[in-house]
Amino acid sequence: MNQQLAGFAPAPVAARMENHGNHMLKVAMQTGNDLLARVGSMVAYEGFVQYEPNPPAVRQIAKDWMTGEGAPLMKCSGDGLLYLSDYGANVVVINLNGDAISVNATNLLAFDAHLTWGVERVKGLAKFAGQGLWNTKISGQGWVALTSRGKPIVVDCGGGEDETYVDPDALVAWSPNLKVKGKRSFKAQSLIGRGSGEAYQMAFSGQGIVVVQPSEDSTDRLRVRG
Amino acid sequence: MAREFQRGHKARISDLTAGTDLYVGVQITGPGLTFDISCFGLDGNEQLSDDRYFVFFNQPKTPEESIQLLGAQAGDTESFRVTLDKIPPQIQKLSFTATIDGAGQMSQVAPGYLRIVAGGEEVARYSFNGAEFSTERAVMLGDFYLKDVWRFAAVGQGFDGGLDALLKNFGGEVAEEEPAAAPQPQAGAPSFAPPAQATAPPAFGAPAAPAPTPAPAPAPQPAQGFAPPPAPTPPPAPEPPVHAAPTIVAPMTPPGGAPVPPPAPAPAPYGQPGQQQPPYGQAPGQTAPLPPGYGQPQAPQAPAPPPGYGQPTPPPGYGQQPPFGQVPGQPGAPGAPSPYGAPQGAPQGGAGVAAALQSYKETPTGQRWTQQNKKMVRVDLGMGGDQAVLARQGSMVLYQGKVDFSYKGAGFSGRIVGNATGQEMQLMRCSGRGQVFLADNSAMLHPIELQGDAVCVSAENVLAFDETLQYEVRRVEGHGIPGGALFTMQFQGTGTIVVKTRGVPVVLPVTPTTFADCNAVVAWSAASQVIVSSQVRMRRNAYPGDSGESVNLQFRGAPGNFIVVQPYEV
Repeated sequence: MNQQLAGFAPAPVAARMENHGNHMLKVAMQTGNDLLARVGSMVAYEGFVQYEPNPPAVRQIAKDWMTGEGAPLMKCSGDGLLYLSDYGANVVVINLNGDAISVNATNLLAFDAHLTWGVERVKGLAKFAGQGLWNTKISGQGWVALTSRGKPIVVDCGGGEDETYVDPDALVAWSPNLKVKGKRSFKAQSLIGRGSGEAYQMAFSGQGIVVVQPSEDSTDRLRVRG
Repeated sequence: MAREFQRGHKARISDLTAGTDLYVGVQITGPGLTFDISCFGLDGNEQLSDDRYFVFFNQPKTPEESIQLLGAQAGDTESFRVTLDKIPPQIQKLSFTATIDGAGQMSQVAPGYLRIVAGGEEVARYSFNGAEFSTERAVMLGDFYLKDVWRFAAVGQGFDGGLDALLKNFGGEVAEEEPAAAPQPQAGAPSFAPPAQATAPPAFGAPAAPAPTPAPAPAPQPAQGFAPPPAPTPPPAPEPPVHAAPTIVAPMTPPGGAPVPPPAPAPAPYGQPGQQQPPYGQAPGQTAPLPPGYGQPQAPQAPAPPPGYGQPTPPPGYGQQPPFGQVPGQPGAPGAPSPYGAPQGAPQGGAGVAAALQSYKETPTGQRWTQQNKKMVRVDLGMGGDQAVLARQGSMVLYQGKVDFSYKGAGFSGRIVGNATGQEMQLMRCSGRGQVFLADNSAMLHPIELQGDAVCVSAENVLAFDETLQYEVRRVEGHGIPGGALFTMQFQGTGTIVVKTRGVPVVLPVTPTTFADCNAVVAWSAASQVIVSSQVRMRRNAYPGDSGESVNLQFRGAPGNFIVVQPYEV
């Protein structure tokens, strides 16, 4: 029996954040280097790790994080190995090297607490999406982990004036320096119930990348669990 | 840690180990069966052009001794020594095969494996068992093949004939009937180190770092067994360390016995540091004293352990992780502020967003339909004619360029038919110029290119297709089907259709006895004939509300037809 299971043992730690398989994140925790993770995303830990849901500082920043869209975070500190996952979603680990990324709130799994981050609202979209889209912009030197339902695809926006249009439900992350605007593709037909199913998109233009997932399921499973 | 291979997996050998002098062990057993395990050295055309490179019990080595048969040892039914550097250039592929000597078939074999050992450490293992085979009498277990660099592929493909047929398949000739000699176990192993030997000439374990090793040479070196590791502690710790830190709840307590890595107080929960103990995950029957086990510091994915992490001594047993309570500056982790410290070095492939996402880049353009990954497909509108694409409504995740999405109605008659048969598709029409990325709920996508032929797909499994294809609802008749008949969509013409499945599907060739559950079958080539065979299945009866009767479809047709079945009964 052990022989079968032995293949799933954790690999030796080589970096602060690593993938264990495609769907699990392994974080090497260390005192003084705290981690902010989605509430409820912890599946296992080894060592001495403490969790502090919604620490005051975070609450301050997330004051305008709307309850409907925001993703509550917890602060993890201590020494050990921490394993995070989000209902079998693929985990993508990014080592920020002074650059920045803008992540959809539901697709954020964890990031180093010392990174600069802030919650912002995507402009221009709320008026017809009805809900608005909230995202977290993270920058600095450190590690970020995203989730994606299925293996994501990274598309280069090309840098020119051409726009790349994304279904907001499939959007995972993008470069913050891209210009974002909403695009509706309503037509008169849609009003009589003959829409194409693609009512509105987000249009990105400029120099940067867009990450999309192969699923239009943007439900926040970690929140549903409560 | 040995990397586990599944059937079909491939890897560069340089990714597995920096060594090129490899030990290949095969364990294959079965009740009452005897096996001939041999290695074919094949040329670029996969032919055995030189008989001297057929290594088997009658010819235990090649002329320059690049491949040697070593006999049974260390739990392996048969073992080889392969020196990749010495293999002559005309040999492009080494195929390791096992054939049954006498009566029997491959489905009877017990679980076995093919493993690669380098420097006393197991680096790869492909496990198989009899359930993967049926009546075959031979099996090609794995290949070493040269494609720029030497690579290993776990093949696991059965072969109907015996050794003779296998030899003929590779273009060889059976020189004489029934070679008489029994496998001669080599008396006195040659001067290289199979895993059973603790001492070996250092040449074998030396990580020569062959050409395109992605890892910097020093990184894998500690894992290479025999080279003296730069760590202060050699693996055979003569006495068990005395640890003062008994539990992990007291992380700041420095362990008393300093340099030995694993936190192993006397009743060690996992992994004794003693050498004689087979580590966790090792079969007790194996006697390898330097067991590759479970906790080697070299991970295949992480070729360059950053400083501070590298416990360069391979601690036996489980404990490759540094102890929780190790104090900074201990010899085990030089320079690291803490054992779990975030290494500040760049990860593999470099730092930054662009580097981290490199593996998710979109694939280059070139075709009208391009599969991006298993779950996403890109269609280039405007390439290969200006025809539009019909796609399931809402399946667009991203597009670039000027693309117009419009409602595609089925027409009046189409709606009547659709309502009556359930074969209704909610489609949108994508036209214009640009690239559209399509995906649906993480389903796996399979583009099928039709060239005048036809395929039947259940409507709910269609993601998108070229507008040039004609489609119609087809009826599968048969008594016993709930509702009287079963309907499917038949697509015909020239173009591509993208079929989606939940989970990895199985594509079965149509044979005289091919059956499928009508709830799980996704598609079949339209040239095969479908017959309904009903039977009562107890499992279905167990569900309340179900009709209690399920329908199996039998497929018949000429060779070349196929059916696609998904692991999900809708």
